[in-house]
Amino acid sequence: MNRTPALIALVIAAAVLLAAGPMVLPPFYVRVGQLMLYSAGLGLAWGILGGFAGYASFGHAAFIGVGAFIAGLVENQFSTLPTALLLPVGLLAAAAACAILSALIAYPILRLRGTFFAIAMLGVSHVCAEVTNNIDFFQGSMGLNFPPIAPAGMDPANFFYELYLAGALLILLTAWQIKRSRFGAGLLSIREDEDTARMLGVPTERYKRTAFVISAVLTGLMGVIYAHSLGYITTDSVYRDDTNLSLIVYSLLGGMGTLFGPVIGAFLLVFITQVILGRLLDFHLFATGLLLVLLILAAPGGVSGLLKRRKTA
Amino acid sequence: MSVLEVRGVSKNFRGLAAISDVSFAIAEGSITSIIGPNGAGKSTMFNLITGYLPPTAGEIRFKEKRITGLPTNRIAELGVARAFQIARPFRDLSVFENVRIGALFGKAGARDVAVTTRRAMELASIAHLAEQPAAALTVGQLRHLEVARAIATRADLLLADEPCAGLNPTETAAMIDVLRQVRKNGVTVVLVEHDMPSVMEVSDRLLVLDAGRLIGDGPPQAVANDPKVIAAYLGTPDAA
Repeated sequence: MNRTPALIALVIAAAVLLAAGPMVLPPFYVRVGQLMLYSAGLGLAWGILGGFAGYASFGHAAFIGVGAFIAGLVENQFSTLPTALLLPVGLLAAAAACAILSALIAYPILRLRGTFFAIAMLGVSHVCAEVTNNIDFFQGSMGLNFPPIAPAGMDPANFFYELYLAGALLILLTAWQIKRSRFGAGLLSIREDEDTARMLGVPTERYKRTAFVISAVLTGLMGVIYAHSLGYITTDSVYRDDTNLSLIVYSLLGGMGTLFGPVIGAFLLVFITQVILGRLLDFHLFATGLLLVLLILAAPGGVSGLLKRRKTA
Repeated sequence: MSVLEVRGVSKNFRGLAAISDVSFAIAEGSITSIIGPNGAGKSTMFNLITGYLPPTAGEIRFKEKRITGLPTNRIAELGVARAFQIARPFRDLSVFENVRIGALFGKAGARDVAVTTRRAMELASIAHLAEQPAAALTVGQLRHLEVARAIATRADLLLADEPCAGLNPTETAAMIDVLRQVRKNGVTVVLVEHDMPSVMEVSDRLLVLDAGRLIGDGPPQAVANDPKVIAAYLGTPDAA
């Protein structure tokens, strides 16, 4: 049970190593690293609701999009601010917007369970995309520019790599704190059997809402970094159904409901699609799909499940 | 003093009256069994007390506080726990983790989670199974887990839904013993049970439900010999 100090040391070592990555990696691998850290952050944020509480969302791109667009619109209003303050302002605005949106939809949508919840979230994602696209105020169809925020003298690719790393670490820390808390135990009991959990005094409704809001806010923050790294976004660049799908896949692949599952899954999937299959563009979606089916058939508990099985065997 | 008071409670499912104007009070520290033929409304009664279902009429008081209409988790926070007839363990978790959830939540107030978890497992005599996954337990062990988890909530009132159903005589005796231990620790117990020998042995009082009505109430021997109760179970001679 007391492997915690060793684990913390390992995470810190990995973080330092990852932070040093851009100094030695060729540009292509810095980009792959960006995508890995971005995906890991999103996967971890998704897992707070989907993995811990068992409410698998199929529409978390909604919060990437809302976070990105609100941050962009607000930052453009404050363009006279010093560059260093723009990102914090954007992050704050995105966090507020995602918190409000998720808190509002939590009441009706968290009454749904299983597939119904997943599909309803897909609907939310599509509605947000349509609104962004069709209401001129959001500039979704013509696109929204983001002010450059990378400090002078630093390669923007390296800068965003480090930002993604910081974001992913923040989310990992949050998820870890949740998992070891009473709140985390409550979420776990909700995943296992919601009615029984309530019978034992777990405030299931409040816990689900809280997990949903935390998950949405953290997802929105990653969305802001993503939008900045692109520099210019339209509706289609942030409200992506392949993101909606990938977030589930990361946890399935790495281990549903585990702390490091989404990280393992995200790293693995990004590496496979970008590096191994990167040159086989025609073939790549087919191969990814096939691989997923095989992996899930062979290892329903994901990579974490495989490791655990080996340990107990 | 009565810990639980049920006053004029009725529950209709569409046209069907599952519970009709039932009133009773449960004395603190007692073991009371609710018996009755299948479909008499025994489990519905538990669903009403725990807030899983709202009553159509009447009110329920727990420790003199009206609990009708409160959500299930609030009622649990006040000190009501339930052990299900068909055990509902958190299957992916170990016995220890299952019981710990009860200790982490349940009745409001300060607690030592580690001590509460261990004591509850000891009381339900499943301490030796602590590290076992719940999915690996036998039916009898699962019943003990249900009771342990309920005790871990530090409840003042334990509602046990057929804790002995499907158990062999040895397991039944063990369960009866656990329930006695629970009462000895100051918890009031209400049972729904079909196993008449256990009921007669363990209960201070019997409540008999038939077709949603309370038709018998008193000490076990008196109730078991009551012609009305016998008729409910076996049918009346003129009806036959």
